[in-house]
Amino acid sequence: MDSFLPVQVSWTPQTAASGSDFYPYTNNAGTVAGISGGDFCVMAADTRQSFGVGYLINTRYQPKMFKLSNGSVLGTSGFYADGLTLIKRINQRLEWYKHAHDKEMSTPALAQLLSITLYSKRFFPYYARVLLGGLDLEGHGVVYGYDSIGSYEPCLARATGSGGSLIQPFLDNQIYRKTPLGILQAPHTLDQVKAVMRDSFTSATERDIQTGDYLELFIITAQGVDVEKYDLRKD
Amino acid sequence: MDRFSGNFDRFSDLFNPYDSNPTNANHAIGDFTKCTRKPLVMGSTVLGLEYQDGVMIAADTLGSWGQLARYRNESRIYPVGNFTVLGAAGDMSDFQHTKHMLDSLMIKEYYTNDDHVLSTPHIYEYLSRVLYHRRSKLDPLWNTYVVGGYNNGERFLGYVDLLGTTYQSSIVATGLGAYFAQPILRNAVEGREGILTEAEAIEILNTCMKILFYRECKTLNRIQRAKVTADGVEISEPYALPTEWSFGEGIRGFGTQTQ
Amino acid sequence: MSGKNCVAIASDKRFGVKYLTISMEFPKMFQATDKTFIGISGLATDVQTLMERFRFKINMYRMNEERDFEPITLANMVSSTLYERRFSPYFVEPIVAGLDKNNNPYINGMDLIGCSTTACDFAATGTPEDQLYGTCEALWEPNLEPEELFETISQTIMSATNRDCVSGWGAVVHVITPERVITRTLKTRMD
Repeated sequence: MDSFLPVQVSWTPQTAASGSDFYPYTNNAGTVAGISGGDFCVMAADTRQSFGVGYLINTRYQPKMFKLSNGSVLGTSGFYADGLTLIKRINQRLEWYKHAHDKEMSTPALAQLLSITLYSKRFFPYYARVLLGGLDLEGHGVVYGYDSIGSYEPCLARATGSGGSLIQPFLDNQIYRKTPLGILQAPHTLDQVKAVMRDSFTSATERDIQTGDYLELFIITAQGVDVEKYDLRKD
Repeated sequence: MDRFSGNFDRFSDLFNPYDSNPTNANHAIGDFTKCTRKPLVMGSTVLGLEYQDGVMIAADTLGSWGQLARYRNESRIYPVGNFTVLGAAGDMSDFQHTKHMLDSLMIKEYYTNDDHVLSTPHIYEYLSRVLYHRRSKLDPLWNTYVVGGYNNGERFLGYVDLLGTTYQSSIVATGLGAYFAQPILRNAVEGREGILTEAEAIEILNTCMKILFYRECKTLNRIQRAKVTADGVEISEPYALPTEWSFGEGIRGFGTQTQ
Repeated sequence: MSGKNCVAIASDKRFGVKYLTISMEFPKMFQATDKTFIGISGLATDVQTLMERFRFKINMYRMNEERDFEPITLANMVSSTLYERRFSPYFVEPIVAGLDKNNNPYINGMDLIGCSTTACDFAATGTPEDQLYGTCEALWEPNLEPEELFETISQTIMSATNRDCVSGWGAVVHVITPERVITRTLKTRMD
């Protein structure tokens, strides 16, 4: 399994601190959110790519959420190059899995794979905030939320990225229906979930400069993945 | 007093975090292991846009050594194969390395003799993976590249920098060009890619390069332009942009005209 | 948060040092005039000091001028009080909310040296600022009646503080209408 290990780099915090002006990360930011339902899962991401510290918009349309070969959807935000590399590695592993086992990898298995892939770069992490959405073995929607070194948990509704802190409490309010008495989860339909997603992103776009331009919704059902695109503010 | 003028302009850090000044006291001259972390001869802005016949990119011909305009005939545009062109900003020695690397790649592919030709997206992907790999080794190729191409009726214009960040767009600008030229390009090009004529595209790029020459220190008004169309790559000879400075006569209040 | 001829102001009730909770009954807002409140988040000693200074200044104003502070005047007073300490500031971020003499809502948020912003919709400060702004943007709408405004601000502050580990432990909401001030205490998670 040696070939699965990441490229070894002679990097330690000490070498990074001494002499070199080169900082190997930037933050191209953006927001990703996911909500799971009874037999569906909705993933959403904006499409703006920013330059990081320079207050520049690189481009208004560079998708950072991708459908994978097993029908689940992986969204990334943070350092775009790391996110893209992560997706390439995951896609490769999915292909190997398919050839080895003659079936597609399930979403929960992929969630674990994603976790160990992130952890394999524990000391030179992928600076990517990722969210994985799909259907579990029973066909129920699932969303997995991660930190950049591989901690993960399945959740009902999750937002991450530059606008994550703005959206997450709203999702708690609308999807989890959290109250002082506990969690009273309201049943929600696909249309309601899509409406909540669109509201979340229009709100986040108002206050977060790195979120905007277009919203892409990936709707995952047993029939496959539908993609919808909506406008967001472009300022 | 700090005699290193590079330390005067604090803005250079903000506008171009990858810039550096070889006359800086901290520079790693003599420590060759660190040379790739400290660029020496630097190229500045590259601009690119899509128009109706294909893509067009422009760059000036200056290789700066710190604040010194050291090499005034440095070509920063290079053809790769028949339908791809590469524009480079950043360290010129790393650019030359990249040129050798891509030439070797194209020759290797040619001798395979399997009727497959690397098209622009392939070259772009290869280049971006090389740059990402080098950044992951913390030994980056200190460049920002603009890759333009035209394959089977498809325009391609992409950006890749020393961190491996990539994006494709109908307009691309590097360095200070991202601040000065990008808004002008967006106004002039976005949504009109299919109807923009060659003459208009040339006019837009000339205007942008002239504005950059007026406002950016590390540029020349001597530029090169390249276009990629169905007919292949065509890179112009360097030519000078006419500039107008007479308005300076009328400015009062600073410099030598204080009255 | 502003409504139709009404404003609401809410805060949580926690007082803590880093991750240690010391009190769950710490008021961060006080009534400045009949129809105006000041809410202050930040360093507790500065919060208390400023509340006393503002109370003093408000009383002096009332005695000298024989009238109450208008909210906009009050906001300017708060702002200049903070700017007096430009180079050794109070570590606070105040919000002034109230109804002016025509019963129009007035809301003002400030940073620690008094740079103030008047908002027509809502203002938020404190550790869960991001969460508050995100939720406000999604839940708030113009011209809310007092009871609707109460529900909106309550949902907002509960959702936002639940995602901030150093906020919560109960909340207080004041809804200011031309006739009266409605004060309610919210039960929230206590962990």
